[in-house]
Amino acid sequence: MLSDRLAGAFLLILGGLLLLIIIPWQVETVDYGWLRPRTMPSLLAGLLALCGLLLVLRPGTEPPRSANWPRAALYAGLLIAGLALISRYGFLWVAPPLALALMWLAGERRWIWLAAGTMGTPAMIWLCVAILLERPLP
Amino acid sequence: MLDSATILAGLGDAFQPITLFYVLAGVIVGQFVGAVPGIGPVMATAIAIPFTFGMDPLAGIGFLVGVNKGGLVGGAIPAILMNTPGTPDAAATAMDGYPLAKQGKPLKATKMALYSSVTGDTFSDIVLITVSAPLAILALRMGPVEVLGLMLLAFAVIAALMGASIVKGIAAAALGLMAAMVGTDPEHASPRLFFGQFELYDGLPLAAVAIGMLAISELLSRLSQTRAAVRATVQIPANQPPKDRRVSWAEYWACRFTLFRGAVIGTALGALPGIGSTAAAFMSYASAKQVSKDRASFGKGNLHGIAASEAANSSVMGANMIPMLTLGIPGSVSAALIISAFMIHGVQPGPFLFENQGRLIYGLFGAMIIANAMNMLVGQVGMRVWVRVVTAPESFILTSALLLCFVGVSLAAGGVFGIGVMLAFALLGFVMTTFGFSVVIFIIAFFLGPRFEISLSQSLALLNGDPMALINYPFGLAMIVAAPVLAVWLVRRRA
Repeated sequence: MLSDRLAGAFLLILGGLLLLIIIPWQVETVDYGWLRPRTMPSLLAGLLALCGLLLVLRPGTEPPRSANWPRAALYAGLLIAGLALISRYGFLWVAPPLALALMWLAGERRWIWLAAGTMGTPAMIWLCVAILLERPLP
Repeated sequence: MLDSATILAGLGDAFQPITLFYVLAGVIVGQFVGAVPGIGPVMATAIAIPFTFGMDPLAGIGFLVGVNKGGLVGGAIPAILMNTPGTPDAAATAMDGYPLAKQGKPLKATKMALYSSVTGDTFSDIVLITVSAPLAILALRMGPVEVLGLMLLAFAVIAALMGASIVKGIAAAALGLMAAMVGTDPEHASPRLFFGQFELYDGLPLAAVAIGMLAISELLSRLSQTRAAVRATVQIPANQPPKDRRVSWAEYWACRFTLFRGAVIGTALGALPGIGSTAAAFMSYASAKQVSKDRASFGKGNLHGIAASEAANSSVMGANMIPMLTLGIPGSVSAALIISAFMIHGVQPGPFLFENQGRLIYGLFGAMIIANAMNMLVGQVGMRVWVRVVTAPESFILTSALLLCFVGVSLAAGGVFGIGVMLAFALLGFVMTTFGFSVVIFIIAFFLGPRFEISLSQSLALLNGDPMALINYPFGLAMIVAAPVLAVWLVRRRA
């Protein structure tokens, strides 16, 4: 299957990148001891590359799980934007518009459910976390 | 190993009002969330872990056990009412539960699922309580070489049995182990793969990785496919005769052999890492059908079909805790999540657990039995209420779950940085799942990674770098040799 070949090629490239660039750059060289800091990461990178090669050469026959990539990317983008806004303005201010955007994108148009999601859920979280558990919200 | 005073003190702790309260709360949350199609006990446990942060260890772990057990009962509701299993392991329940509900007996079907689930769960808990302490004594005699062999064996079994193919299974395990390499190297204490982020000195936060890969990636997948509100296809009639609303003692007793067989299958499979409750449920269903004198009625609303499936899938949970408590090796994602809760509360799982935290462990055993009783009580009262849950729109449920994950990870994994890690692993989990790589193998490998590296380092030191010295460790050597042999055998059997 093409999807297996694509996944295999990705693993092959990832393994190669790890072995040749990332591990030498991000792991200190130590010349003593039985298991040096680079030993395990290098072995695993090699194993990843080998698995990738096997997938490229002998792909499976099962089709990939169906996924709506554009919509998933849209949701992921929304969550990342939400995280950036939370780090700047705080959860309590960002959660209601974020919930509204997520529910609207999911096709929800009934005002009662939109109100429950945008006001009820953040209020319940605030009550449980900030008031009952006495922990700070992000 | 443990004196009776410790055991009694532990069981007494389980009956403290605060523990009872949290176990009850866990069961209610679990049944509620389990009834939502697509959420299920694993995701519910993942979301709930950070909220146990401020609780006493036994109350927190008891709450999670309640969520997990409640989720198994709740998972049967959408399977029976909508033919849409809340969890994959409830798919076998739908085969007879849905036809029975369509015959106008939805409450009878959900109650049979409840009784069977509690029966199977109690059976496996009794096995867990009986065998785990002696197994822990055995485990204490194991050194680093034996632990290394055992982990290799666990990886081999998990990679061979889970996921689409063994190559993908090994790749998922290698990715999980690679993620576990982030942080400080155990032998030289030198930081590695941290990309200048000092928050990563202690490694990637387990709660953020687990919630990202298990919960957020699944929520993303479901949200991206949600277009309309979910509606129950079977409604509960207002006025039903009592025999159609409840399961009589005679009907329950007639299923006793099916229940026992299902519980034994679930417990046996649950004790082995990686097999899981879905396989147990289908195996039990198939065996019940095979021995039945009325095979033709299976798939048309036979109570034995529901009993077989639910007893087996629920008995997996207790048995999953056997390798977790005795060896520190999680047999499933639920067990890995409960282990992470142990670690959040400063408790290190493994063979020393019984020696160092005996009171807590027997408290946990007590909480598990209490959770079973509460599951029964809450289920009796709550079934009619949970049935309404399946009609709540996915857009609301999934969005609320997302917000809970944001807050939960922030509590457990150090604020906004933890949420960032969670989102990164959610994307990885989404891609991995779409391409057929098991995120379950990834999480188990990620969890076992640091221990695997330490055991390997200690083993190399013990062997003085000479592989021939393995001959002095026959048990460890046998497991190291058995790992690839077993993997090949399992793959051939699967093929």
